[in-house]
Amino acid sequence: MSRAGNGIALVIGSGGVKCAAAIGLQRCLARESINIDLVVGCSGGSIYAAAIALGKNAEEAAALSTALWTRDVTAQPDRAALMRMLFPKLLGFTERFGLKKDHVVWERLMTAFGELTFADCKIPLFITATDFRTGEQVTISEGRIADAVRASIAIPFAFAPWEVNGRLCIDGFLSDPLPVGVAIREGAQVIIAMGFESPYQERVTSGGRFAFQLSSIMTNNLLKASFAFHGLAHHSEVIAVIPQFSQRIRLFDTGKIPLLIDEGDAAMGEQLPYLRRLLAAVPA
Amino acid sequence: MQISISQQDHVTIVAVAGSIDALTADTLVTALLDEVAAGRTRLVAHFGAVEYTSSAGLRVLLSTLKEARQRGGDLRIADIRPNVRQVLELSGFTSILKCFADVDSAVASFANMGGNK
Repeated sequence: MSRAGNGIALVIGSGGVKCAAAIGLQRCLARESINIDLVVGCSGGSIYAAAIALGKNAEEAAALSTALWTRDVTAQPDRAALMRMLFPKLLGFTERFGLKKDHVVWERLMTAFGELTFADCKIPLFITATDFRTGEQVTISEGRIADAVRASIAIPFAFAPWEVNGRLCIDGFLSDPLPVGVAIREGAQVIIAMGFESPYQERVTSGGRFAFQLSSIMTNNLLKASFAFHGLAHHSEVIAVIPQFSQRIRLFDTGKIPLLIDEGDAAMGEQLPYLRRLLAAVPA
Repeated sequence: MQISISQQDHVTIVAVAGSIDALTADTLVTALLDEVAAGRTRLVAHFGAVEYTSSAGLRVLLSTLKEARQRGGDLRIADIRPNVRQVLELSGFTSILKCFADVDSAVASFANMGGNK
Protein backbone atom coordinates (compact mmCIF):
# COMPACT_ATOMS: atom_id res chain seq x y z
CA MET A 1 0.00 0.00 0.00
CA SER A 2 1.44 3.34 -1.01
CA ARG A 3 0.82 6.65 0.74
CA ALA A 4 0.73 8.56 -2.47
CA GLY A 5 -1.95 11.23 -2.71
CA ASN A 6 -3.42 12.72 0.40
CA GLY A 7 -1.91 10.36 2.97
CA ILE A 8 -3.73 10.50 6.28
CA ALA A 9 -7.19 12.04 6.54
CA LEU A 10 -9.11 12.80 9.70
CA VAL A 11 -12.91 12.74 9.52
CA ILE A 12 -14.84 14.14 12.48
CA GLY A 13 -18.51 13.27 12.47
CA SER A 14 -21.56 14.90 14.00
CA GLY A 15 -22.17 14.67 17.73
CA GLY A 16 -22.74 18.06 19.34
CA VAL A 17 -20.42 18.79 22.21
CA LYS A 18 -19.12 15.21 22.09
CA CYS A 19 -17.11 16.28 19.06
CA ALA A 20 -14.72 17.96 21.51
CA ALA A 21 -13.26 14.46 21.83
CA ALA A 22 -11.54 15.30 18.55
CA ILE A 23 -9.30 17.66 20.52
CA GLY A 24 -8.08 14.65 22.49
CA LEU A 25 -7.54 12.73 19.28
CA GLN A 26 -5.56 15.67 17.93
CA ARG A 27 -3.51 15.80 21.14
CA CYS A 28 -2.78 12.08 20.91
CA LEU A 29 -1.60 12.30 17.29
CA ALA A 30 0.53 15.38 18.04
CA ARG A 31 2.23 13.52 20.90
CA GLU A 32 3.10 10.78 18.43
CA SER A 33 4.22 13.31 15.76
CA ILE A 34 1.63 11.90 13.33
CA ASN A 35 0.55 14.62 10.92
CA ILE A 36 -2.86 14.86 9.29
CA ASP A 37 -2.87 15.70 5.58
CA LEU A 38 -6.52 16.67 5.21
CA VAL A 39 -9.50 17.03 7.50
CA VAL A 40 -13.24 16.64 7.02
CA GLY A 41 -15.87 17.81 9.49
CA CYS A 42 -19.62 17.42 9.80
CA SER A 43 -21.99 19.36 12.06
CA GLY A 44 -20.36 19.75 15.51
CA GLY A 45 -17.29 18.06 14.06
CA SER A 46 -16.89 20.91 11.58
CA ILE A 47 -15.80 23.27 14.39
CA TYR A 48 -12.88 21.03 15.34
CA ALA A 49 -12.03 20.17 11.76
CA ALA A 50 -11.74 23.90 11.05
CA ALA A 51 -9.63 24.48 14.16
CA ILE A 52 -7.23 21.69 13.17
CA ALA A 53 -7.04 22.85 9.56
CA LEU A 54 -6.24 26.39 10.71
CA GLY A 55 -3.33 25.04 12.72
CA LYS A 56 -4.76 25.56 16.19
CA ASN A 57 -3.21 23.25 18.76
CA ALA A 58 -5.25 21.21 21.25
CA GLU A 59 -5.18 23.93 23.93
CA GLU A 60 -6.37 26.58 21.49
CA ALA A 61 -9.09 24.30 20.16
CA ALA A 62 -10.28 23.59 23.70
CA ALA A 63 -10.46 27.32 24.48
CA LEU A 64 -12.38 27.94 21.25
CA SER A 65 -14.77 25.12 22.10
CA THR A 66 -15.49 26.38 25.60
CA ALA A 67 -16.13 29.93 24.37
CA LEU A 68 -18.31 28.89 21.43
CA TRP A 69 -20.40 26.05 22.71
CA THR A 70 -22.49 27.30 25.62
CA ARG A 71 -26.12 26.82 26.55
CA ASP A 72 -27.11 30.37 25.62
CA VAL A 73 -26.41 29.49 21.97
CA THR A 74 -29.88 27.93 21.90
CA ALA A 75 -31.44 29.76 24.85
CA GLN A 76 -33.50 32.30 22.93
CA PRO A 77 -36.66 30.92 21.31
CA ASP A 78 -37.84 32.52 18.10
CA ARG A 79 -41.51 33.05 18.98
CA ALA A 80 -42.30 34.53 15.60
CA ALA A 81 -41.08 31.31 13.97
CA LEU A 82 -43.27 29.32 16.34
CA MET A 83 -46.28 31.42 15.39
CA ARG A 84 -45.50 30.97 11.69
CA MET A 85 -45.38 27.21 12.28
CA LEU A 86 -48.76 27.26 14.04
CA PHE A 87 -50.43 29.61 11.53
CA PRO A 88 -48.49 29.05 8.29
CA LYS A 89 -51.04 30.46 5.88
CA LEU A 90 -51.84 33.47 7.99
CA LEU A 91 -48.27 34.48 8.85
CA GLY A 92 -46.34 32.97 5.94
CA PHE A 93 -44.16 29.93 6.65
CA THR A 94 -40.82 29.70 4.81
CA GLU A 95 -38.11 27.08 4.45
CA ARG A 96 -35.76 29.28 6.49
CA PHE A 97 -37.37 27.94 9.65
CA GLY A 98 -35.81 27.49 13.07
CA LEU A 99 -37.31 27.65 16.54
CA LYS A 100 -34.20 29.25 18.06
CA LYS A 101 -32.78 32.66 17.31
CA ASP A 102 -29.40 32.18 15.73
CA HIS A 103 -27.68 35.52 16.27
CA VAL A 104 -25.72 34.25 19.30
CA VAL A 105 -24.31 31.24 17.48
CA TRP A 106 -23.46 33.43 14.49
CA GLU A 107 -21.67 35.96 16.69
CA ARG A 108 -19.71 33.14 18.32
CA LEU A 109 -18.71 31.72 14.95
CA MET A 110 -17.59 35.14 13.77
CA THR A 111 -15.58 35.58 16.97
CA ALA A 112 -13.96 32.18 16.43
CA PHE A 113 -13.35 32.32 12.69
CA GLY A 114 -14.06 35.91 11.62
CA GLU A 115 -13.34 36.46 7.95
CA LEU A 116 -11.01 33.46 7.68
CA THR A 117 -11.59 31.41 4.55
CA PHE A 118 -10.68 27.92 3.46
CA ALA A 119 -7.70 29.46 1.69
CA ASP A 120 -6.27 30.37 5.12
CA CYS A 121 -6.07 26.73 6.21
CA LYS A 122 -2.72 24.99 6.70
CA ILE A 123 -4.10 21.71 5.37
CA PRO A 124 -7.12 21.08 3.11
CA LEU A 125 -10.43 21.40 4.93
CA PHE A 126 -13.79 20.05 3.82
CA ILE A 127 -17.02 20.76 5.69
CA THR A 128 -20.20 18.90 4.88
CA ALA A 129 -23.78 20.10 5.03
CA THR A 130 -27.00 18.92 3.39
CA ASP A 131 -28.88 20.62 0.57
CA PHE A 132 -32.26 21.40 2.11
CA ARG A 133 -34.08 21.23 -1.22
CA THR A 134 -32.57 18.06 -2.66
CA GLY A 135 -31.16 16.18 0.35
CA GLU A 136 -27.76 15.88 -1.35
CA GLN A 137 -24.58 16.09 0.62
CA VAL A 138 -22.87 19.45 0.09
CA THR A 139 -19.10 19.53 0.48
CA ILE A 140 -17.88 23.04 1.19
CA SER A 141 -14.23 23.82 0.52
CA GLU A 142 -14.21 27.49 -0.34
CA GLY A 143 -15.52 30.74 1.07
CA ARG A 144 -15.81 31.87 4.67
CA ILE A 145 -15.30 29.12 7.25
CA ALA A 146 -17.91 30.66 9.57
CA ASP A 147 -20.56 30.30 6.85
CA ALA A 148 -19.62 26.66 6.24
CA VAL A 149 -19.73 25.78 9.94
CA ARG A 150 -23.03 27.63 10.39
CA ALA A 151 -24.53 25.63 7.53
CA SER A 152 -23.12 22.36 8.85
CA ILE A 153 -24.61 22.92 12.33
CA ALA A 154 -28.05 24.03 11.13
CA ILE A 155 -29.78 21.61 13.51
CA PRO A 156 -33.26 20.85 12.13
CA PHE A 157 -36.06 22.70 13.93
CA ALA A 158 -33.52 24.61 16.07
CA PHE A 159 -31.51 26.71 13.63
CA ALA A 160 -32.74 27.91 10.25
CA PRO A 161 -31.02 26.52 7.14
CA TRP A 162 -28.11 28.68 5.94
CA GLU A 163 -27.21 29.64 2.40
CA VAL A 164 -23.69 28.85 1.20
CA ASN A 165 -22.46 29.28 -2.36
CA GLY A 166 -26.04 29.58 -3.61
CA ARG A 167 -27.35 26.45 -1.88
CA LEU A 168 -29.66 26.44 1.10
CA CYS A 169 -28.02 24.06 3.55
CA ILE A 170 -29.10 22.24 6.67
CA ASP A 171 -27.12 20.13 9.15
CA GLY A 172 -24.58 17.77 7.58
CA PHE A 173 -25.68 14.80 9.69
CA LEU A 174 -28.84 14.50 7.62
CA SER A 175 -26.89 13.31 4.59
CA ASP A 176 -24.02 11.50 6.36
CA PRO A 177 -23.15 11.76 10.07
CA LEU A 178 -19.59 10.54 9.38
CA PRO A 179 -18.61 11.67 5.87
CA VAL A 180 -15.76 9.25 5.18
CA GLY A 181 -16.70 9.35 1.50
CA VAL A 182 -15.31 12.87 1.18
CA ALA A 183 -11.87 11.69 2.33
CA ILE A 184 -12.02 8.73 -0.07
CA ARG A 185 -12.95 11.02 -2.95
CA GLU A 186 -10.07 13.35 -2.10
CA GLY A 187 -7.61 10.47 -2.43
CA ALA A 188 -6.84 9.76 1.21
CA GLN A 189 -5.09 6.49 1.97
CA VAL A 190 -5.39 6.00 5.73
CA ILE A 191 -8.61 7.51 7.09
CA ILE A 192 -9.07 8.06 10.80
CA ALA A 193 -12.80 8.42 11.37
CA MET A 194 -14.07 9.70 14.71
CA GLY A 195 -17.82 9.22 14.95
CA PHE A 196 -20.48 9.40 17.62
CA GLU A 197 -23.74 7.60 18.02
CA SER A 198 -26.67 9.83 18.93
CA PRO A 199 -28.00 9.18 22.44
CA TYR A 200 -31.44 7.73 22.92
CA GLN A 201 -33.86 9.44 25.30
CA GLU A 202 -34.06 7.98 28.78
CA ARG A 203 -37.74 8.98 28.90
CA VAL A 204 -39.94 10.37 26.14
CA THR A 205 -42.06 12.93 27.96
CA SER A 206 -42.61 15.61 25.34
CA GLY A 207 -43.01 16.19 21.63
CA GLY A 208 -39.47 17.52 21.51
CA ARG A 209 -38.03 14.39 23.08
CA PHE A 210 -40.12 12.26 20.75
CA ALA A 211 -38.60 14.13 17.79
CA PHE A 212 -35.08 13.74 19.24
CA GLN A 213 -35.68 10.01 19.64
CA LEU A 214 -36.76 9.65 16.02
CA SER A 215 -33.76 11.69 14.94
CA SER A 216 -31.39 9.45 16.92
CA ILE A 217 -32.88 6.28 15.45
CA MET A 218 -32.52 7.56 11.88
CA THR A 219 -29.09 9.10 12.43
CA ASN A 220 -27.60 6.01 14.04
CA ASN A 221 -28.89 3.76 11.30
CA LEU A 222 -27.60 6.15 8.64
CA LEU A 223 -24.23 6.24 10.41
CA LYS A 224 -23.94 2.45 10.32
CA ALA A 225 -25.12 2.09 6.74
CA SER A 226 -22.83 4.79 5.46
CA PHE A 227 -19.82 3.62 7.47
CA ALA A 228 -20.33 0.04 6.28
CA PHE A 229 -20.41 1.11 2.65
CA HIS A 230 -17.35 3.35 2.89
CA GLY A 231 -15.35 0.79 4.88
CA LEU A 232 -15.93 -1.82 2.22
CA ALA A 233 -15.54 0.58 -0.71
CA HIS A 234 -12.22 2.11 0.35
CA HIS A 235 -9.18 0.45 -1.18
CA SER A 236 -7.04 1.18 1.85
CA GLU A 237 -7.76 1.57 5.54
CA VAL A 238 -10.50 3.24 7.57
CA ILE A 239 -9.68 3.31 11.27
CA ALA A 240 -12.81 3.91 13.33
CA VAL A 241 -12.41 5.84 16.56
CA ILE A 242 -15.71 5.67 18.41
CA PRO A 243 -15.31 6.90 22.00
CA GLN A 244 -17.41 5.10 24.58
CA PHE A 245 -17.99 7.84 27.12
CA SER A 246 -18.06 6.87 30.76
CA GLN A 247 -20.83 9.40 31.41
CA ARG A 248 -23.97 10.37 29.54
CA ILE A 249 -23.21 13.48 27.47
CA ARG A 250 -25.98 15.86 26.52
CA LEU A 251 -25.90 18.35 23.67
CA PHE A 252 -24.64 21.28 25.76
CA ASP A 253 -22.66 19.56 28.52
CA THR A 254 -19.81 22.00 28.03
CA GLY A 255 -18.64 21.42 31.58
CA LYS A 256 -17.62 17.94 30.45
CA ILE A 257 -15.31 19.14 27.69
CA PRO A 258 -12.14 18.21 29.68
CA LEU A 259 -13.57 14.70 30.16
CA LEU A 260 -14.45 14.50 26.46
CA ILE A 261 -10.93 15.51 25.48
CA ASP A 262 -9.38 12.88 27.75
CA GLU A 263 -11.70 10.17 26.45
CA GLY A 264 -11.01 11.16 22.84
CA ASP A 265 -7.29 10.93 23.58
CA ALA A 266 -7.79 7.48 25.13
CA ALA A 267 -9.93 6.25 22.21
CA MET A 268 -7.26 7.30 19.72
CA GLY A 269 -4.63 5.74 21.96
CA GLU A 270 -6.34 2.37 21.58
CA GLN A 271 -5.85 2.59 17.81
CA LEU A 272 -2.23 3.75 17.99
CA PRO A 273 -0.45 0.38 18.03
CA TYR A 274 -2.00 -0.53 14.69
CA LEU A 275 -1.64 2.96 13.24
CA ARG A 276 2.07 2.96 14.13
CA ARG A 277 2.59 -0.46 12.51
CA LEU A 278 0.62 0.62 9.46
CA LEU A 279 2.57 3.82 8.96
CA ALA A 280 5.88 2.04 9.56
CA ALA A 281 5.03 -0.46 6.85
CA VAL A 282 3.98 2.16 4.36
CA PRO A 283 6.53 4.54 2.84
CA ALA A 284 5.53 8.18 3.12
CA MET B 1 -1.47 -12.70 13.42
CA GLN B 2 -1.65 -16.47 13.95
CA ILE B 3 -4.08 -18.82 12.22
CA SER B 4 -4.84 -22.40 13.18
CA ILE B 5 -7.30 -24.63 11.37
CA SER B 6 -9.10 -27.67 12.74
CA GLN B 7 -12.19 -29.75 12.00
CA GLN B 8 -15.16 -30.51 14.23
CA ASP B 9 -18.34 -32.28 13.08
CA HIS B 10 -17.71 -31.51 9.39
CA VAL B 11 -17.17 -27.86 10.20
CA THR B 12 -13.86 -26.09 9.68
CA ILE B 13 -12.77 -23.93 12.60
CA VAL B 14 -10.37 -21.15 11.77
CA ALA B 15 -8.93 -19.78 15.00
CA VAL B 16 -7.38 -16.37 14.56
CA ALA B 17 -5.18 -14.53 17.04
CA GLY B 18 -3.89 -10.98 16.87
CA SER B 19 -4.90 -8.15 14.59
CA ILE B 20 -6.86 -8.43 11.34
CA ASP B 21 -5.88 -5.37 9.37
CA ALA B 22 -4.29 -4.14 6.16
CA LEU B 23 -0.98 -5.76 7.12
CA THR B 24 -2.42 -9.22 7.79
CA ALA B 25 -5.56 -9.36 5.66
CA ASP B 26 -3.93 -11.08 2.68
CA THR B 27 -2.68 -13.96 4.86
CA LEU B 28 -6.10 -14.52 6.39
CA VAL B 29 -8.10 -14.26 3.19
CA THR B 30 -5.76 -16.75 1.51
CA ALA B 31 -6.20 -19.21 4.38
CA LEU B 32 -9.98 -18.86 4.38
CA LEU B 33 -10.46 -19.01 0.63
CA ASP B 34 -8.14 -22.02 0.39
CA GLU B 35 -10.52 -23.84 2.72
CA VAL B 36 -13.53 -22.84 0.64
CA ALA B 37 -11.79 -23.84 -2.60
CA ALA B 38 -11.06 -27.24 -1.08
CA GLY B 39 -14.79 -27.72 -0.52
CA ARG B 40 -14.76 -26.95 3.18
CA THR B 41 -17.43 -24.28 3.00
CA ARG B 42 -18.84 -24.53 6.51
CA LEU B 43 -16.56 -22.23 8.40
CA VAL B 44 -16.44 -20.95 11.95
CA ALA B 45 -14.05 -18.10 12.59
CA HIS B 46 -12.99 -18.30 16.22
CA PHE B 47 -12.34 -14.68 17.18
CA GLY B 48 -11.64 -15.15 20.89
CA ALA B 49 -8.03 -14.05 20.44
CA VAL B 50 -8.67 -11.37 17.81
CA GLU B 51 -7.59 -8.13 19.42
CA TYR B 52 -8.44 -5.75 16.62
CA THR B 53 -10.08 -5.59 13.24
CA SER B 54 -10.03 -2.75 10.75
CA SER B 55 -11.88 -2.09 7.50
CA ALA B 56 -9.36 -4.34 5.72
CA GLY B 57 -10.34 -7.13 8.11
CA LEU B 58 -13.99 -6.59 7.36
CA ARG B 59 -13.33 -6.93 3.65
CA VAL B 60 -11.74 -10.34 4.34
CA LEU B 61 -14.86 -11.48 6.16
CA LEU B 62 -17.13 -10.24 3.40
CA SER B 63 -15.23 -11.88 0.55
CA THR B 64 -15.07 -15.19 2.44
CA LEU B 65 -18.72 -14.97 3.37
CA LYS B 66 -19.80 -14.43 -0.23
CA GLU B 67 -17.57 -17.20 -1.55
CA ALA B 68 -18.72 -19.71 1.07
CA ARG B 69 -22.40 -18.93 0.56
CA GLN B 70 -22.10 -19.14 -3.22
CA ARG B 71 -20.88 -22.71 -2.69
CA GLY B 72 -23.70 -23.60 -0.31
CA GLY B 73 -21.84 -23.03 2.92
CA ASP B 74 -21.48 -20.21 5.38
CA LEU B 75 -19.03 -18.29 7.54
CA ARG B 76 -20.04 -17.87 11.17
CA ILE B 77 -18.17 -16.11 13.92
CA ALA B 78 -17.72 -17.18 17.51
CA ASP B 79 -16.41 -15.66 20.73
CA ILE B 80 -16.03 -12.03 19.70
CA ARG B 81 -14.35 -9.54 22.03
CA PRO B 82 -16.36 -6.39 22.84
CA ASN B 83 -14.11 -3.99 20.92
CA VAL B 84 -14.23 -6.18 17.82
CA ARG B 85 -17.99 -6.63 18.17
CA GLN B 86 -18.35 -2.84 18.27
CA VAL B 87 -16.64 -2.58 14.86
CA LEU B 88 -18.78 -5.40 13.45
CA GLU B 89 -21.95 -3.73 14.72
CA LEU B 90 -21.00 -0.27 13.52
CA SER B 91 -20.30 -1.57 10.05
CA GLY B 92 -23.49 -3.62 9.85
CA PHE B 93 -21.78 -7.01 9.81
CA THR B 94 -23.81 -8.37 12.70
CA SER B 95 -26.87 -8.03 10.47
CA ILE B 96 -25.44 -10.24 7.71
CA LEU B 97 -23.26 -12.65 9.72
CA LYS B 98 -24.37 -15.16 12.32
CA CYS B 99 -22.45 -14.59 15.54
CA PHE B 100 -22.22 -17.00 18.48
CA ALA B 101 -21.00 -16.82 22.04
CA ASP B 102 -18.69 -19.82 21.63
CA VAL B 103 -17.29 -22.23 19.05
CA ASP B 104 -19.46 -25.19 20.08
CA SER B 105 -22.66 -23.17 19.53
CA ALA B 106 -21.40 -21.99 16.15
CA VAL B 107 -20.52 -25.54 15.07
CA ALA B 108 -23.87 -26.85 16.33
CA SER B 109 -25.71 -24.21 14.31
CA PHE B 110 -24.64 -25.95 11.10
CA ALA B 111 -26.53 -29.11 12.11
CA ASN B 112 -29.74 -27.90 10.47
CA MET B 113 -28.02 -26.80 7.30
CA GLY B 114 -28.33 -29.02 4.26
CA GLY B 115 -26.11 -29.15 1.17
CA ASN B 116 -22.34 -29.25 0.98
CA LYS B 117 -20.01 -29.64 3.88
